[in-house]
Amino acid sequence: MEQAAPDLERPLQPAPLEPLGHPDAGPEAAVGEEAEGAPDEEGPGDRTMTENNFCLKKIEISVSEAEKRTGRNAMNMQETYTAYLVETRSVEHIDGPSVLTDSLWRRYSEFELLRNYLLVYYPHIVVPPLPEKRAEFVWHKLSADNMDPDFVERRRIGLENFLLRVASHPILCRDKIFYLFLTQEGNWKEIVNETGFQLKADSRLKALNATFRVKNPDKRFTELKHYSDELQSVISHLLRVRARVADRLYGVYKVHGNYGRVFSEWSAIEKEMGDGLQSAGHHMDVYASSIDDILEDEEHYADQLKEYLFYAEALRAVCRKHELMQYDLEMAAQDLASKKQQCEELATGTVRTFSLKGMTTKLFGQETPEQRESRIKVLEEQISEGEQQLKAKNLEGREFVKNAWADIERFKEQKNRDLKEALISYAVMQISMCKKGIQVWTNAKECFSKM
Amino acid sequence: MSGGLPKALPSTGPHSLRDMPHPLAGSSSEEAVGGDSTPSPDLLTARSFGDKDLILPNGGTPAGTSSPASSSSLLNRLQLDDDIDGETRDLFVTVDDPKKHVCTMETYITYRITTKSTRVEFDLPEYSVRRRYQDFDWLRSKLEESQPTHLIPPLPEKFVVKGVVDRFSEEFVETRRKALDKFLKRITDHPVLSFNEHFNVFLTAKDLNAYKKQGMALLSRVGESVKHVTGGYKLRSRPLEFAAIGEYLDTFALKLGTIDRIAQRIIKEEIEYLVELREYGPVYSTWSALEGELAEPLEGVSACIGNCSTALEELTDDMTEDFLPVLREYILYSDSMKVPSDVEKCQDRMECFNADLKADMERWQNNKRQDFRQLLMGMADKNIQYYEKCLMAWESIIPLLQEKQEAK
Repeated sequence: MEQAAPDLERPLQPAPLEPLGHPDAGPEAAVGEEAEGAPDEEGPGDRTMTENNFCLKKIEISVSEAEKRTGRNAMNMQETYTAYLVETRSVEHIDGPSVLTDSLWRRYSEFELLRNYLLVYYPHIVVPPLPEKRAEFVWHKLSADNMDPDFVERRRIGLENFLLRVASHPILCRDKIFYLFLTQEGNWKEIVNETGFQLKADSRLKALNATFRVKNPDKRFTELKHYSDELQSVISHLLRVRARVADRLYGVYKVHGNYGRVFSEWSAIEKEMGDGLQSAGHHMDVYASSIDDILEDEEHYADQLKEYLFYAEALRAVCRKHELMQYDLEMAAQDLASKKQQCEELATGTVRTFSLKGMTTKLFGQETPEQRESRIKVLEEQISEGEQQLKAKNLEGREFVKNAWADIERFKEQKNRDLKEALISYAVMQISMCKKGIQVWTNAKECFSKM
Repeated sequence: MSGGLPKALPSTGPHSLRDMPHPLAGSSSEEAVGGDSTPSPDLLTARSFGDKDLILPNGGTPAGTSSPASSSSLLNRLQLDDDIDGETRDLFVTVDDPKKHVCTMETYITYRITTKSTRVEFDLPEYSVRRRYQDFDWLRSKLEESQPTHLIPPLPEKFVVKGVVDRFSEEFVETRRKALDKFLKRITDHPVLSFNEHFNVFLTAKDLNAYKKQGMALLSRVGESVKHVTGGYKLRSRPLEFAAIGEYLDTFALKLGTIDRIAQRIIKEEIEYLVELREYGPVYSTWSALEGELAEPLEGVSACIGNCSTALEELTDDMTEDFLPVLREYILYSDSMKVPSDVEKCQDRMECFNADLKADMERWQNNKRQDFRQLLMGMADKNIQYYEKCLMAWESIIPLLQEKQEAK
């Protein structure tokens, strides 16, 4: 598919919420969509869909397999990595059969590339997070090794989840690069890089903790940033303690396995008590081995929490972008104001502001009226340009706030829904564990009663 | 719940330990047998079975605590009494009420010994005397001397390392009281030992010291007569039987020791688990404070984990207080039962030794079986109760979590 070269000069603008095909739809920020043109062309999320139909209803995405590969990296050194099979199916109608339309292999770094692109082109969106790069919050039985099959499996699920999140986002799902990620294996990386998004990325965002003194911060964003910081902190804490709890629980269950052995040995020297002891011992073994499945299920809960830990980061990123935007706006306004003042002073002859020209004038004598005239003209041009830019920045800022806040509301609803579900499933897991415990001990008690 | 008909005992005499709740376990083992834990005052006073008022709190009323009899253990006694062929319990002994005595020379503790009996050997139906540890020690050595062919139950440790253990601490005194109570009950249950003259005096005499001095002469005569009686038998030594018993006891004690270590380890792991849980629950509370719609669900989870923590603490306390001490006491008991290894020396008493020993061993085996059945069922029960408490907590918050809440 041909891609028009992105217009590097055009300032980034957020995609409006109006769906494609709407007469008032503004310019799209997603690169390449302009080149697409015809609204009836096939793509993710049928272009003819109405506003409320999410893309996900039309397609199914799955990350179905993981495979170890070896290859040569950029420095021509051999490396081992894991490749994931991304399959896309289209569903003709609800409950109808799905047809495999695309199938390709992607590695983690390509997912990262996709996400970084989305972060740059949709700064007002809370972009879904990727699963963790390295295993964290592990308790002793889990491996911190990236090549460990359990880690790979959980990563596979996490990557699938990421794609599903993007596909179900009303704005992100329409992105061309995302579509190509799913459909075009070769050359995709080149296409993404050609958008030049890395250049557009504000390097200042990388300095996470750098503070920008904003004179008039938007209170809502300040509060939201504070919330995202707190959320990150509390979920990290929760995950750390949960891992320790899992460790200890594992220990409790496993030690009970020792009863199995000693009861068996003891039963050998007993006459009447023997059978009861022996069978009770068996139940102790069952009890000890039951913890493995229980804790594996709990990892799923931990993964759900982790997703929102990383989502908190994405939320914070939106706040940061707004902060920077606000800062740039204030700087531009300040700059404009100072230029205006300079101009005024030159015109009226009063010197209130310090300028180099003023200094040199003092030192080397007054400038000629012609010189002054030309300087005023230059300044006036700059002022005019500055005013236009400021106007554009203001507009951009307002658009950003409006769109960002809409997505934040959407995100809040999603978060509340998802976390409630997660808590419910956690409670269900605990209930199941308790019931198993009751069962085993009741069985053991029965054996003891027959002693 | 306690498992049906008692076995007919090989020897004559009143009942085995089985018809009583395990003395050291007190009220909790009664609960383990399935009764409910709330004592009903009516049960404790109103009924009477046969001629006797069975509702003597056999566990005693130690200073500061009460051990109510559960309804089911009461029922057990009822059942058993109905089944025993005509015989009813006629001797009840309890050790309680420890008191500190401060004298010029020394400070020591005495315990109240309450005896109720209808036996002819007792002049009065009821006695209450005070005894100190050295009196128990005296009794035991007298029993060993006068009944050499029988297994004499063990006493708790005589000497305590000063400075390490506080001899007058409530805990130590209570542990010792329980052990002394158990000691006397075992003698009470024994068809032969319970009729021993020294035992009778121990239970009844106002001034035991006087008897101790006076009784010396009497005792030596008793000892001789036993020797005389057994000397006449034509004996065949049966070292194999002793060896078998010895071997059994060795392995048994070993296994119990292992179980003790496992149980301790489990408690240790559970306590460490508890420590983490106590940190885990509150984090949900902290999170709850940040949220709007999620605040209640998160707070609910926090409370739930708190409830589970409490349940776990109860489990570990129970196991520490009820399970471990009983287990350890049994290890001591079986250690004290070691048959003299120098079989040669006892050649002349062999026949008598064999018969009595065999009977005692069988009784001991039976008691041991009942005791352990009860102990282990108790352990299972405590764990079941723990899980039931947790289950209830988690089930109760499901509706809270599913509740549709007003947005913000």
